[in-house]
Amino acid sequence: MALDRFGGVVSRRTFVQGGLAASALAALAGCGKNSSSTSGSTDTASAGGTFKFYISDPVAIDPYNLQESEGTQVGHCLFDSLVSYDWTKSEVVPAAAESWTVSDDGTVFTFTLKEAKFHNGDAVDAASFKRGWERLADPSMETPGEIGYHLAPVAGYEAFSKGEATEITGLVAKDDKTFEVTLTDPMADFLIVCCHPGLAPVPQAALDDPASFLLSPIGNGAFKMDGKWESGQYINVVRNDDYYGDAAKLDAINFSIQKDPKTALSEFKAGNMDFCQMPTGQIKELMSEYGESEDGYTVTPGKQCLTGAEGSIYYLVLNMDDPTMQDANVRHAMSLAINRQNIVDTLFEGVREPADNIFPPIIDDKANAWQYAKYDKDAAQKIMDDNGLAGTQITLSYSSGGGHEDIMSCIQADLEAVGFSVSQQSQEWAAYLSGLTDGSFQVGRLGWIADYPTMDNFIYPNFFSTADNNYSRYNNPAVDADTLVARQIVDEEARKEAYRAINDEVAEDTPIIPIMFYSHVHLGSERVKSLYYDAQGKADLKNAELSA
Amino acid sequence: MGKYILKRVIQFIPVFLGVTLILFALENIVPGDPIKLMAGEKKLDAQTELNLRVTYHLVETDDAGNVVYDESGNPVETPLWKRYVMYVGGLVQGDLGTSYQRKGQAVSDILLSKYPYTIKLAVVAIILETIVGIGAGMISAIKRYSFWDVLVTLVTSILVAMPAFWLGMLLQLFFGVVLKNATGGGFYLPVSADFSPYAEFQGWVYYILPAVTLAAVSTAYTARIMRSQLLEVMNQDYIRTARAKGLSRRSVIWHHALKNALIPVVTYIGNDFGAMMAGAILTETVFNWPGVGNETYRAISQRDWPIVLGSVTVIVVLVMVINLIVDVSYAFLDPRIRFDNSGKEN
Repeated sequence: MALDRFGGVVSRRTFVQGGLAASALAALAGCGKNSSSTSGSTDTASAGGTFKFYISDPVAIDPYNLQESEGTQVGHCLFDSLVSYDWTKSEVVPAAAESWTVSDDGTVFTFTLKEAKFHNGDAVDAASFKRGWERLADPSMETPGEIGYHLAPVAGYEAFSKGEATEITGLVAKDDKTFEVTLTDPMADFLIVCCHPGLAPVPQAALDDPASFLLSPIGNGAFKMDGKWESGQYINVVRNDDYYGDAAKLDAINFSIQKDPKTALSEFKAGNMDFCQMPTGQIKELMSEYGESEDGYTVTPGKQCLTGAEGSIYYLVLNMDDPTMQDANVRHAMSLAINRQNIVDTLFEGVREPADNIFPPIIDDKANAWQYAKYDKDAAQKIMDDNGLAGTQITLSYSSGGGHEDIMSCIQADLEAVGFSVSQQSQEWAAYLSGLTDGSFQVGRLGWIADYPTMDNFIYPNFFSTADNNYSRYNNPAVDADTLVARQIVDEEARKEAYRAINDEVAEDTPIIPIMFYSHVHLGSERVKSLYYDAQGKADLKNAELSA
Repeated sequence: MGKYILKRVIQFIPVFLGVTLILFALENIVPGDPIKLMAGEKKLDAQTELNLRVTYHLVETDDAGNVVYDESGNPVETPLWKRYVMYVGGLVQGDLGTSYQRKGQAVSDILLSKYPYTIKLAVVAIILETIVGIGAGMISAIKRYSFWDVLVTLVTSILVAMPAFWLGMLLQLFFGVVLKNATGGGFYLPVSADFSPYAEFQGWVYYILPAVTLAAVSTAYTARIMRSQLLEVMNQDYIRTARAKGLSRRSVIWHHALKNALIPVVTYIGNDFGAMMAGAILTETVFNWPGVGNETYRAISQRDWPIVLGSVTVIVVLVMVINLIVDVSYAFLDPRIRFDNSGKEN
């Protein structure tokens, strides 16, 4: 009987709870939403709207440490460097500088600045550029910057970064509007280096209160900070109405920091994101749903998927100190055995390009393909047979995650098909990098994303014997000498020819095996009237428009 | 009771020192140089690298701040013990150091900006877990072999087997996308957390799906533990005695059975709460929750030792405090457990 009574209570209670749940849902639908919603979809026709842009958490947004794609994206909105690179024209165009001259010997660059103000009202003068640039290399910063290397060609950089000098002598503020940069050696591409968003001017406030500048930098760009960077959450910027150039069309940008690109895509599908990435495996499906951009770089309604080529390459690093890898025949056979098209088609749904040399086509499309950087199983087999290489042991090391396992498994199968005996070694990134650095690997993998869209930026860091990124430990005195010569050639076409010749020299040695060139896998929303996302992954948010 | 708590608090100190010491040792054992890792896939130039090592006290400097070199011209590394002493010294003054990867940001600032979100989410999840878990377990035990019992057993089995991140993604898809499209934007829940000024919903709405996801597995366990404990207690002699005395079934359950059955459940929930304090990496990732779990995971994979040490320090303290609260709560649940003045459990 007790049980019956108890049961009765439960059922009545269930009824009451059901009612409560229903009213709670109603409350959710009604009061849950902020009545004063500022999200873009509710904006009126006259407003430029708020662009919701997906990024992952940046390393830094203060220019002195801008180094990866996410922070750089924000940096481009907040700061204007002296010049900027226009991908549609493939040339350097004025930004904060209105004009510049280069001395005949190619070592002195003199910039004349435009009349402009920082977001706090301070004038943007030559001294603010000197201040901003020196912060990059200043060892007395509370946390020294990591991108001082951009200034390595500038006279006096070394002494300053060692703390032996109080300024970089090669940076001189001649007067308020004249900024002069002196290099130790001629470097024809230096103007393109000056496009880097890290080489921005900063107001005195950056030195007076570095802690708040770190999270809420004061720049000279088309947008200014709205509140501070909330780590792992968001960075909001609003239009700078005192901008020296044409004011931005957008009212504001909400950089939504997401940990997982899949979550960002879910938000996109729910209508809360205007720009995100297409995860591998869903690219074709999304392309058929949202349409493919005409040029691969511009989002317009109905043509929203970007697959344009990027200035970056994925390659295998061969450790030239390893006894097996010292045999050029092994390197050549490996490179010929890998079916790059198969990797691109099966793993990346055909959106990436197989790589046949070191320069992505967007950087230079006239360079010769490497003789051995193509899929030719018979040729590989012939080298194997002629030199008795069958059964050669090869260990592929790579960092786990990021889809590298799949790529390495394809490569392993290709290498085994011609008679190599292959094993894999997957490590987490930190441990893998240690191996690369101390040379305890045989074959590794790396991606190279250009700092600047120059041919030099693909040759020098990867193949110059003492360069930082030369994990192959490649040492060819002829390549070193030619690189130093090429860097100083002022004539652009002649310089490009020189780098193409170096590409041919390196091809014969095959210290790396080019696998593929990256492409964009990005997606804009229907609200985006136009957005240009360039080959370096810089979104031109200053000129972006949302439909009302 | 007071002495017992004091004794437990004093016991914190060696535990705490031990944990931080192990982590410090790990820093040297685990492969991966944190400074080299700072520049991502690119390499730092040598001088920049040295400047950073000086900044983080990883190499010895003289009084003037110049790097000390050994005979072969290499910078002398700061010995482990010296860094540990510096760390504990800083800790006493409330200084947890500076992050390697989050350039120039104080660890305490980073953790302070993330812990409130972790704690709030954990509290909501624990409340959910306690009410739903204990409730379902009780119904299941009291109405054994009924429809409700079968339902609870079935649902808990599914929840235990389902990975949290998958459940989270399903919830996102259903409440955020499918429901929104089906109702023409009339009713839906947010896909991921958004505490920015541009947020579409009031703050509390963002807690619903992450809390459900975070609580799902442990709610299922709580229900199962509750069910088996209550059934076991209900078969005890004193329950039969109480019934024989003429007490109603409800009175027996509430006043006699429940308190005893709750002890393992409270232990489980307490431990679970401690674990949630360490952050829920998967739930935080799926729902983009700005909590501490993902930060700690990032710090470990990028060898951001100051953050790892800082968050572990906080977690150790929190877990010890929660365990203490759980132990003390036993005394209220079971009258036989008392902490006498000698500080021992009786």
